[in-house]
Amino acid sequence: MDSRQLKNLFDYLGKSWLIFGPKEIKAGGGERQISIELLSDFDKLVWDERLPFYSFKRFFVPEAEGLFKYRNEKLLDEPAQSDKIAFFGMNVLDLRSTLLYDQVFREDVCYQQRRSNFLVIGHNIMPNLGPAVKPQVFDENMLEHLSFDIFFLALKNSIGREGARDYAVFAGSPKGQKVLDNFGYKDYIKVEFKGLVKEGLIIERMQMLKDKLENHHSPKIWEELGKRCIECGKCTIACPTCFCFRIDDEPALKEGEGERERCWDSCYYQEFSEVSGGHKFLDNTAGRIHFWYFHKFARIPKEYNMLGCVGCRRCAAVCPVGIDIKEVLRNIEQS
Amino acid sequence: MQSLYQTKTAKIVKITEQTENIKLFEFRFEQKSFKFSHEPGQFTMLSLPGFGEAPFAPCNSIGKNLELCVRAAGKLTNKLHTLKIGDKVGIRGPYGRGWPIASAQVKNEKLKIKSLEGKKNLLIVVGGLGLIPLRTLLSDKDRFLDKDSIVQIFYGAKAPEEFLFKKDFDKWRADGIDLQLTVDNECEGWDGCVGLVTALFDRRNVVSDAKAFLCGPPIMYKFALKKVKEHKFKDENIYLSLERRMHCGVGVCQHCAVGSSYTCKDGPVFQYSEIKDVEGAI
Ligand SMILES: Cc1cc2nc3c(=O)[nH]c(=O)nc-3n(C[C@H](O)[C@H](O)[C@H](O)COP(=O)(O)OP(=O)(O)OC[C@H]3O[C@@H](n4cnc5c(N)ncnc54)[C@H](O)[C@@H]3O)c2cc1C
Ligand code: SF4
Ligand code: SF4
Ligand code: FES
Repeated sequence: MDSRQLKNLFDYLGKSWLIFGPKEIKAGGGERQISIELLSDFDKLVWDERLPFYSFKRFFVPEAEGLFKYRNEKLLDEPAQSDKIAFFGMNVLDLRSTLLYDQVFREDVCYQQRRSNFLVIGHNIMPNLGPAVKPQVFDENMLEHLSFDIFFLALKNSIGREGARDYAVFAGSPKGQKVLDNFGYKDYIKVEFKGLVKEGLIIERMQMLKDKLENHHSPKIWEELGKRCIECGKCTIACPTCFCFRIDDEPALKEGEGERERCWDSCYYQEFSEVSGGHKFLDNTAGRIHFWYFHKFARIPKEYNMLGCVGCRRCAAVCPVGIDIKEVLRNIEQS
Repeated sequence: MQSLYQTKTAKIVKITEQTENIKLFEFRFEQKSFKFSHEPGQFTMLSLPGFGEAPFAPCNSIGKNLELCVRAAGKLTNKLHTLKIGDKVGIRGPYGRGWPIASAQVKNEKLKIKSLEGKKNLLIVVGGLGLIPLRTLLSDKDRFLDKDSIVQIFYGAKAPEEFLFKKDFDKWRADGIDLQLTVDNECEGWDGCVGLVTALFDRRNVVSDAKAFLCGPPIMYKFALKKVKEHKFKDENIYLSLERRMHCGVGVCQHCAVGSSYTCKDGPVFQYSEIKDVEGAI
């Protein structure tokens, strides 16, 4: 598919879906950054190696979402409404995090309802994460371990030709096939999902980190981090795989009515582990930061056989005290 | 698919004051066809919309109406304490894994668990509210244990008026349960043991050939564990019910995580050997 056809597909989808995709915006301080925005104009869409500052998390797992309206003791099962959204251009790292959401919320009606209205369109342009890290290289074998409806693989000889790329097109679901069929594009390749990441090296590293965290306590690492971290919680907000939540009630003005909500929470916050009597099981910063890493590199691997980190480095980018996940992982490995 | 967080409406049919700030509530479910059943040691989430939800351990006898014994401790529980007979709450659950005798009971009600998988007897060490998740087991002892199993309870409270389920004590003793009480400080009208629950280990003969079940406030565990270990209980024969903050109750929200396990799903009852190496578990 060439760029002209891609634009046609964009316009075609725009008739029945809200299209969200990466767009350049001015952030505070005049800096430019990539953000996931509602798009009506194909020319504003940015498919390049710049990573969106925030991930797609808030669409999949919103900051606050109503689980129920309530009246007195009753939780009203109102059929949830959600928009039909097409994500036009998710990079591979962000695609990986959707695998985790799908696992964690597989029995959650609100999530499933919302998810069923999404069309996920990925591309293979790997984010450039700065000079300090080796860029990950896309490999076609990754496709069968990702979850997407449609995927665009920029053909090598066309990369760099700004605005005139050619793409190989893959359909990863019946929904993706249907969209392409109806649009009138027949030249796509079907990809069957073969399960969560199975690449040998990743599994090996995952096992090693899990083992270190579970069996080789190295309190020094956490004590040192505990002294630096100021518990602002920014990394939790920025991280695509942080999904911890609270359930809160928001009373409405009318007596006995309101909404029960699920809201993002952060294990960095003091109340996270507090029980009645005021006892906190995570009672210091070192303990809380350990909990954060343990979740991603031990608990998620055990539960879902996948890493709880997609390697996007957003956590390092937002940390005001310069805690860098790459260094922390290296310290764990060497411990 | 129904929401994981949907509750069933239950009406309060009886309220019994237990102590100054603890009440025992009996509930009947609105939906007649619904039969609540739980395994001893599991918990339910009780919901009062506008005031939130929190975990409580059912403590009724098997086959009877759901009973929850609740201390007024904050927003939700204070509100619950103002409710009257006929008022309604929401309940979901039961959740989690209870005491190790429990699962077999559900598979076959008639089946009595021979000798607690190797150990014949049972030592229960509880403090404060910790007795609540054991009441189901105690009220129906012969259903869960061999007739000749010895059950010994070490139960500590701040003061004599703080003991829960005092009305059950006579029945338990008549059933052969060795109930040993202690209060934190000397006080008028109390001629029993004085001291923390661990003091009972030094003053009574501790049952042998037994498993130990522990449940109490967070600080109790370290000391109680030390005592049972001094009495040669092996790690795999010690079980503890952990308290953690809970929001979802179904292993998703992460609040109750202990190492790679969830208190709501894999617990609240854990075998000591499962969690002893997990930092911060005890
Ligand atoms: C498995 C389990 C079984 C329990 N069984 C009983 C029981 O049978 N009887 C009983 O009286 N209590 C029981 N509790 C404790 C009970 O859940 C708390 O007392 C209750 O959450 C307090 O809620 P509140 O809204 O009234 O208090 P709040 O106003 O919310 O706060 C009071 C304190 O409770 C803590 N808290 C708030 N929400 C929760 C929560 N969801 N889980 C844990 N702590 C929380 C707060 O951090 C605060 O320190 C149990 C707890 C657990 C984990
Ligand atoms: S690199 Fe940091 S922000 Fe990105 S997924 Fe891993 S932990 Fe989260
Ligand atoms: S962003 Fe940095 S300082 Fe803030 S909570 Fe995360 S690790 Fe701590
Ligand atoms: S209460 Fe949410 S994970 Fe256990």
